[in-house]
Amino acid sequence: MKVLIVDDEPPARQELRRLLETFDDVEVIGECGNAIEGIAAVNRLSPEVLFLDIRMPRVTGLEMLMMLDPERKPRVVFLTAHEEYALDAFEENAVDYLLKPVDAARLEKTLQRLRRDPTTTLAPFEPEKPLERIPCSGQNRIYLVRVVDIEFVVSRSSGIFIVDREGHEKFTELTLKTLEDRTGLFRCHRQVLVNPEAIREIVFQENGAAEIVTFAGQKIPVSRRFLGPLKERLAIA
Amino acid sequence: MLETTVELSVSLGLQTCVYLVIAYLVGRTPLFLPFVHLTVQWPHRVACWVVFSLFCILGTWLGLRIDEAIANTRAIGAVLGGFLGGPLVGLAVGATGGLHRLWIGGPTAFACMVSTVAEGLIGGLFHLWMVRRGRVEDLFRPLPAAAAAFLAEIVQMCILLMAVKPFAAASHLVGQIAAPMLIANTLGTGLFMSILLDRRTAFEKQSSLVSAKALRIAERAEGVLRNGLTTESAEKVASILHEEIGVGTVVVTDRKTTLAFAGICVAHHVAGRRIGSRQTLDAIAGAKVVFTDAGAVTYRCEVCRNCPIGTALVVPLVVGDEVIGTIGLYEPKTRLFSTINRTLGEGIARLLSAQILAGRYEEQKQLLVQSELKLLQAQINPHFLFNALNTLAAVVVADPERARRLVQNLSTFFRKNLKRPSDEVTLEDELEHVEAYLEIQKARFAGNLDVDIEIGAEFTAVRLPAFSLQPIVANAIKHGTSQLVGKGEIRVGTLRDGDDLLIHVDDNAGLWDEAEAKNGLGLTIVSKRLKNRFGPTSGVEVTCERDVSTRVALRIPLEAAAS
Repeated sequence: MKVLIVDDEPPARQELRRLLETFDDVEVIGECGNAIEGIAAVNRLSPEVLFLDIRMPRVTGLEMLMMLDPERKPRVVFLTAHEEYALDAFEENAVDYLLKPVDAARLEKTLQRLRRDPTTTLAPFEPEKPLERIPCSGQNRIYLVRVVDIEFVVSRSSGIFIVDREGHEKFTELTLKTLEDRTGLFRCHRQVLVNPEAIREIVFQENGAAEIVTFAGQKIPVSRRFLGPLKERLAIA
Repeated sequence: MLETTVELSVSLGLQTCVYLVIAYLVGRTPLFLPFVHLTVQWPHRVACWVVFSLFCILGTWLGLRIDEAIANTRAIGAVLGGFLGGPLVGLAVGATGGLHRLWIGGPTAFACMVSTVAEGLIGGLFHLWMVRRGRVEDLFRPLPAAAAAFLAEIVQMCILLMAVKPFAAASHLVGQIAAPMLIANTLGTGLFMSILLDRRTAFEKQSSLVSAKALRIAERAEGVLRNGLTTESAEKVASILHEEIGVGTVVVTDRKTTLAFAGICVAHHVAGRRIGSRQTLDAIAGAKVVFTDAGAVTYRCEVCRNCPIGTALVVPLVVGDEVIGTIGLYEPKTRLFSTINRTLGEGIARLLSAQILAGRYEEQKQLLVQSELKLLQAQINPHFLFNALNTLAAVVVADPERARRLVQNLSTFFRKNLKRPSDEVTLEDELEHVEAYLEIQKARFAGNLDVDIEIGAEFTAVRLPAFSLQPIVANAIKHGTSQLVGKGEIRVGTLRDGDDLLIHVDDNAGLWDEAEAKNGLGLTIVSKRLKNRFGPTSGVEVTCERDVSTRVALRIPLEAAAS
């Protein structure tokens, strides 16, 4: 069973890894210190089980779950030093939750539960409420960019970038799919999401495609395939 | 003989009427006020002696000369003096009246003096008897007083018969004056007492009316100013005072602006204006009651030219030593400002001041309790303990020596936590607490937290309230560095700023959020505790460069914090 540990306290990660490695059928494939790294690692490594700390910098473990690509959701065991998070955690259909410091015997039980039925994946999360802030990585810190401040999101070979009104770009680990599903951002191109609130004009082109001009004057391509739905979304006949 | 007696009775009756008219008129003056209540105080007894002695003398002076003797109403004063003031006062009044009679002279002079003293004493004995029997209220009833006077007159007649020689002359005299004097003095005393009784009833009615008014205002205003002087509470107070006191206009102000109006001429006045009236400004500046009568210095309305208001009473609301506002009572030019309303106004202002003070006290008390509770929570913060134990569980396997040091840090931290929040500690002491805390956090975040503490050696003995610095450092980690992905940095240092010491805690997160900090209460409580201890210039100061750094500084005046 491929396991990823996400916890912001190095000693806690170290301790859990030590405990997990005593089990033959468990392989710890990575450790992450925050939710952003966690999202990236889930996307990259596709772990089967996520040992996830709840209290982490800027984005909590619970929030991180909401930001995962729905098709790649591992099963989750929450880690918490505080009992009060337990109820919340179960609402997220977590397999289990462990109180820190983790007790070896208790961990064994959790693993049994995981082994007993290895096929069941987590019920897909009902997106309860849209994301309001998108975590973006910066040097040494996580920026939380409000969705209303975003003009568009573009996918490049180097990753997903969020572009705000000033034209500043920020890198995010969230996939276009997650952003499309969980925010009001609208797909206008295979590689671009636009914030409908930011659209000032749409310039139609001869080849059936179009170009959006935002309030900040930025230009975004609209492919033929997505022009129809966009017009519908904006209630343009 | 009978004719003479009837004639004499009528004449003496007329004299008694004159006497009673004078008594009635004097009764309208404050001279009678001491006699509306039973009292044993010496000033009142003296007043009793003076007033009734004068009536005693008046009785002699108005008397009718019959041969060498005088048919008189002297007994009324003597008996009533004793009746209301007790035996001693009775004797004194009798002696005074008697000496006056002696001074006039005549064959009966000495006998009259003795009998006057006896009359005073009889009144006094009645007083004593009634007080002993617990029938104090009967002292103000006309009937017992009249009975005392009747008895006193009979005694007088007996004394006259015994003391005046020859006996034939004495019996002739007594035969002539006995009936008229018995009738006049008995009736006179009873009527005199009923004048007093009326006066007493009127006085009590008036004072009960005023007390009722004051009590009703107190009841209605209860709690209105608990939360201080605001536009809303001022409006309530103004309308209550206007309805209950019934003056023309009531105005409530704070130190600078007019908060509320009620009454006449309100249309011209707008709440929220700066105070323009001289009287109000004087009352605030001097913390004194200002009264302007239309007669002397006319009240000049600052708003409307033809303002009907003529008289103003402005009473400051004083809380502690500070004037926080005023209550103004205004009467139109056509009405006189009654003395009762003046006293009432001043009293009500005092009552309201006390209420505001009580509110402030309550607030302070609540704050204290709240902060004590909050600090208690911080002291035994279970999250911190769990996190520390969690870290320890990991470290104890990997690095036992490090784990031993951590246990030591943890024990230092909890030992320092045993202090009461009200204790005062040195900066050095507080830093030990902070260092133990930071060591544990450093272990928790492994290489991800850098700590640097640099305190000027000259400041280590500075005294400050316990738990002032530790919550600030805890905040810097919780809302600062722990939110960073990369390395967090905490710097604790000292700076001198004029006469103040700044103890600052810096982090490299720059995530300080004013709204969040206010909800958190932590900084607010530390700030309030510093202000309580060091005065309003001290406190907590925050500067934040977004996403770069936050500095939270404790400002402490060095002089006050010197060891």
